[in-house]
Amino acid sequence: MDFLRRFLSYCIFFTFFLCVRCDEFREELFFKPLPSTHLYSYFQFVTLVDSEVSSFHSHLAPRSLAEVVSRFQVEELHLTLTEGQWRHHQWGYPVLDAAPGAELYAWFSPDVTDVDTQWKKLSATLSGLFCASLNFIDSFNTVTPQMALWPMGAVKSSQNVTSQLRYASLPREIVCTENLTPWKKLLPCESSRGFSALLNSRMIHNTNYHSVGVHVRKVCKSSDCLETQLEFKQTVALIYDYDIIKSNDWSFRKLFGQGLPGACPLSTDSKIYVDVTSNSTQPFTLSPPPDNIILSQRGRTDTKLAVYNIHPDGKMINIGVKHKTKSQIPVSIHPPLFFNRYVLGYGKEFGGIVTEITNNCLAPINVVVLENAPWWLPIQLSTLRVNGEAESKLVQSQYYSPGRSRQKPYHLELLIKLPPKSTTTITIDFEFVFLKWQEYPPDANHGFYIGSALISANLPTARNYTSLPITGTTFDSVINDTKLWYPIVFRTNGAMVSLPTPDFSMPYNVICLACTVVALAFGPLHNICTKELVLKPSGTSLSLTQKLLNLFKKKKD
Amino acid sequence: MGLLSDPDVGSAKWVRVLKRVHGPVCFLCYVGALVWFVLLGHRDFNNETYFSENALLPGLVTNEFNAEQSASQYYNELLLELETKYEEMDVMPVSWLVGMMSHIHLEVYTHNFTLHYPLGRGQVFRGTNVYGILRAPRTSSLEALVVSVPYRNVGSHQKTTAAGIALMLAFAKFARPQKYWAKDIIFLVTQHDQLGMQAWLEAYHGLHNENEPFHASLGSFWKPGTPAFNMESFFPNIPLRRNHKKALNPGTLKGRSGSIQAAILLEFSTPQIRYIEVKIEGLNGQLPNLDLVNLVHKLCQKSGIHHSFAKSYSWIRGRDSMDEWKNGFWTMFEMVLGQIDGVPDGNHGLFHRFGIEAVTLEGRDELDPGGKVPRVNSLSFCNFYKLGIALESILRSLNNLLERFHQSYFFYILASTHRFISIGQYMPSLCLLCVAMLIRALSLWVTTLQQDGDYNDKQTKKVTTKSSKHKLEKAKDSDSEEPGEQETQEVKKVKTPEKKKATINMSVLNIGVNYLLLHLIGYGVMNTPFILSYYGSLYYNKPPEVSVYFGIISIAVLLIFITPFLPYMLRKGPITYEELSLVNILVLTELSTVCLSVAMQNFSLGFAIAVIYTPLALMTSVYVKGSGKARACVQLLKRVWCVCVHPLVVVVASMVAYSRTLVADDTWLATLGRGSDAAMQAIMFSVADSMLYGNWLFNLTTSVILPIWLIFWQILNIKVDAP
Repeated sequence: MDFLRRFLSYCIFFTFFLCVRCDEFREELFFKPLPSTHLYSYFQFVTLVDSEVSSFHSHLAPRSLAEVVSRFQVEELHLTLTEGQWRHHQWGYPVLDAAPGAELYAWFSPDVTDVDTQWKKLSATLSGLFCASLNFIDSFNTVTPQMALWPMGAVKSSQNVTSQLRYASLPREIVCTENLTPWKKLLPCESSRGFSALLNSRMIHNTNYHSVGVHVRKVCKSSDCLETQLEFKQTVALIYDYDIIKSNDWSFRKLFGQGLPGACPLSTDSKIYVDVTSNSTQPFTLSPPPDNIILSQRGRTDTKLAVYNIHPDGKMINIGVKHKTKSQIPVSIHPPLFFNRYVLGYGKEFGGIVTEITNNCLAPINVVVLENAPWWLPIQLSTLRVNGEAESKLVQSQYYSPGRSRQKPYHLELLIKLPPKSTTTITIDFEFVFLKWQEYPPDANHGFYIGSALISANLPTARNYTSLPITGTTFDSVINDTKLWYPIVFRTNGAMVSLPTPDFSMPYNVICLACTVVALAFGPLHNICTKELVLKPSGTSLSLTQKLLNLFKKKKD
Repeated sequence: MGLLSDPDVGSAKWVRVLKRVHGPVCFLCYVGALVWFVLLGHRDFNNETYFSENALLPGLVTNEFNAEQSASQYYNELLLELETKYEEMDVMPVSWLVGMMSHIHLEVYTHNFTLHYPLGRGQVFRGTNVYGILRAPRTSSLEALVVSVPYRNVGSHQKTTAAGIALMLAFAKFARPQKYWAKDIIFLVTQHDQLGMQAWLEAYHGLHNENEPFHASLGSFWKPGTPAFNMESFFPNIPLRRNHKKALNPGTLKGRSGSIQAAILLEFSTPQIRYIEVKIEGLNGQLPNLDLVNLVHKLCQKSGIHHSFAKSYSWIRGRDSMDEWKNGFWTMFEMVLGQIDGVPDGNHGLFHRFGIEAVTLEGRDELDPGGKVPRVNSLSFCNFYKLGIALESILRSLNNLLERFHQSYFFYILASTHRFISIGQYMPSLCLLCVAMLIRALSLWVTTLQQDGDYNDKQTKKVTTKSSKHKLEKAKDSDSEEPGEQETQEVKKVKTPEKKKATINMSVLNIGVNYLLLHLIGYGVMNTPFILSYYGSLYYNKPPEVSVYFGIISIAVLLIFITPFLPYMLRKGPITYEELSLVNILVLTELSTVCLSVAMQNFSLGFAIAVIYTPLALMTSVYVKGSGKARACVQLLKRVWCVCVHPLVVVVASMVAYSRTLVADDTWLATLGRGSDAAMQAIMFSVADSMLYGNWLFNLTTSVILPIWLIFWQILNIKVDAP
């Protein structure tokens, strides 16, 4: 009976959607064991919509988001909310990198003239949509990257994209369930069916790293690109630590607290990919066995992917891995490009930010480094040193936009050619400034966050590279995708500085003391002002005339 | 300023009173200061410690430490490793440490550093630190805590720290799979004690850049190009600074975490300790935040470990208040003594300069040197379990911290493990000493001023009568004249003769040059160790400590003979009473300022300087020719006392006293010899500390205290005519 009902409902659903057939929804899940005892799991939910269709007639695409995109004339939008730090030198590269905290960047359509106003409105709207503090994005923390970011979607080649771009990051933002719940609401199956049912906030917020993202872009419908489609991509990246989950054998139950209740019935394709390349060195078995194993050659890097096709049959699936031996000490091989960022110096007067980039390849790599320092951390271009030299030959191009107090951040972009097998150190000094007392955040002595730097690079090798090609929408596009360059944008780690902070307990004490004094003084004063002390004669009461006479007598005296 | 320009000052009542009573008042201030200081040990004059930072939540977590088995395993393995492979070698078992740390799945790095010893023949020392970073989940590595153990090889004169390393590794193993960490934990093993720690900290904060951007030039005291007065341009042939490079090359770190919030250092040679000594004194007398000290004591107590601080033992409670006072005072006194030299008593002391709060936990048993510990044999032995619990609760408490340590006290003296004296309570004792000096300076000032006044009295009176007559006439003549103008004219007239008189009696330039020259001599002496050790090793083939010690002694003796004649070289006529008084006033003001400003950072040093030099400062007076035999005798005694408090004499005397306390049953001659040797070592250490770590003591003594002493010496040795 139950089966019949379900079958009927499916039939109704499918007939409805098959006849409309303008939206397409796919869900994918990708697992990759990372060196040094970590496991990467990446969820990707892609909805493709024809651009021409009005946002009010969306079927599978999230209507709230589509409306935002069309209302503010957004060409491309990337929003990530991340907790934790992706450790590139250990883990390799993620499919999509994200800065710790909240990060938002968007290209507006060329028709938009007042980009800043639209940007402000967009961030405020998204803030409401995702329950994140994106409304704190303002002109003082927004930059327009000149070289570091390029649109991922289809744009007309004649279009000036840079002026329509805005980028902001909020490194202090903390990501939690309240952001995940509205994010899940955007999915066609929400969290009841499909892969999103695995996103149990109790489990995923306990991981070492989790990043939730929404990416909207335009993709070509066909190879001639006459028509475009709007792609809504929702992603979740999670890093599990074998030490914390107490074993290197994992399963869905262990990772997400439950098995997978089948695919989302609305999806055209539901696939799970498990990277089994490491199977040859650290043998393990997958259970249940995968549908097929694909060998993908990308550049000169071989990857073995085990693929599961998941059907919306409502059967519980619990994919797991069992290692044959106890975990060995993993030998981590550094990826082709890795970096480190830190703050120099001590004391409350001066400091410096260092970005160390190591090119581990045999070929030189061109990278664009974007340093984005808030206005309260004035970085001075005169102190810029690349490998200790003021005039370095490595710097091919440079863009600097000085900040303005409380209005504009400091923004520095460098195009650097990294020599092969070398480490390049970019140092820039800053002074500490005094803030106004109301500008200090709560817990002012906690320190102030410096956001991550952006590093965009074209890698000559696909080692550790997991991103989808720019034309690709789903994970199949990764297979045998050999290119000359592999473009990627990295976010370095952020840093924290402690600005000179006044002793806030002092004003607090003063307020307490002043309030106490006022409170103590108020009672008697109020009493004196409103009440009159009258001597009540104990003897016979005086008549009114006598009282009046007495008054006059006193005056005479 | 009214006082300085008022011609009637001599006749004011308070001036007369001041002149009469300043001697006893100064004496009372001095005694009062000492009494105040002694009183601070009493219960009523100090406070119970308390937690200011609520976020610490000490001891609220349920302890889960269960790695005591692996701790003993690590301990045995390390001992075996050291015995078989590293016996009698000054090498750290780097590979073993790296292996163990990567087995726990920490991010392991090694760090190499080099020391070009700045004195003598320029030996080169190399060392390696090993550290592993536990990355806290869900954070972007913005904050970190440090747990560190200095590695000491078996043959060193200090106790080994094998149990400390084992405990740290076991704790790392326990902590790695926990998901509650909000801050990274850096597990660090340093070589060559403080040198390795300093190198690691400098590398972590990036103080190694070759081209010295300004954030890096704030590092160590000795830096190429830091002093504006460059000696090298004057003596091009003398190698003042070897290689123009900083002595310590800290190298670079390959991996780091965020800003370090706090550090806990462990020094345990065996797990079978009786009690833990909490060491807090840092470089230049800097102290960790009282909250951290308090936290460590409280959590030791909670974990059932006996703990102590500078002869205040947690298991000893005073019988009565008198006993407690005595104990409190001795603890305080011990702490002050320890702080004077500004040398950290553990690796924690180097963290403080970088704004990181740090303490050392040292395990001790009954065999420890440095005095008998009462009733120590009745204490039960500690074990890895208890130590692990203590370490876990300390770190989990620090993990709770939302802000860096900023509440509570940074300036305090501890009177016992649980009682403290805040800066507001101990400062008055120093202020009293400085007030005594300032009162003395003021009385000298009014005396000289009054003598001027007496001399001018008649003249002044004449002028005033004249001018008043003049004024009356003028007022009659014209009403348009403004009264203010008249008065200014009047004042001018009154003042001019006085000024004339001043130019006759006193040449500010001459005494100013003398004053400056003495300070420059001090600065020169500060720079001599380079030259002394260089020539000592070149011509006499002596080790640097010997050449520096005897070089400094000979310089001191030379200065004692030369400086009294220095003012005569700069002038033609004799020195006047007024000039010398002015110098006396200046030096009194300088000394009190120096004491106060040094005490702002290192109270103990400032207080010690004040206690030693205030009597000299108060008794120094200008000696007038032909004042009689008794005065001459007194002057001679003053000179003897002055020699007794020469900085070098003070150092040697304190070293002799110290070696006497260490080995009491010895002849005085042997003690003297040992004390002298100790003084030699002490001077050498202070020179090296100043170069490597930025310790001030040597610089302060030679460039500030020595000139002040020389000025006192001049005042005592110059005879002037009566005014």
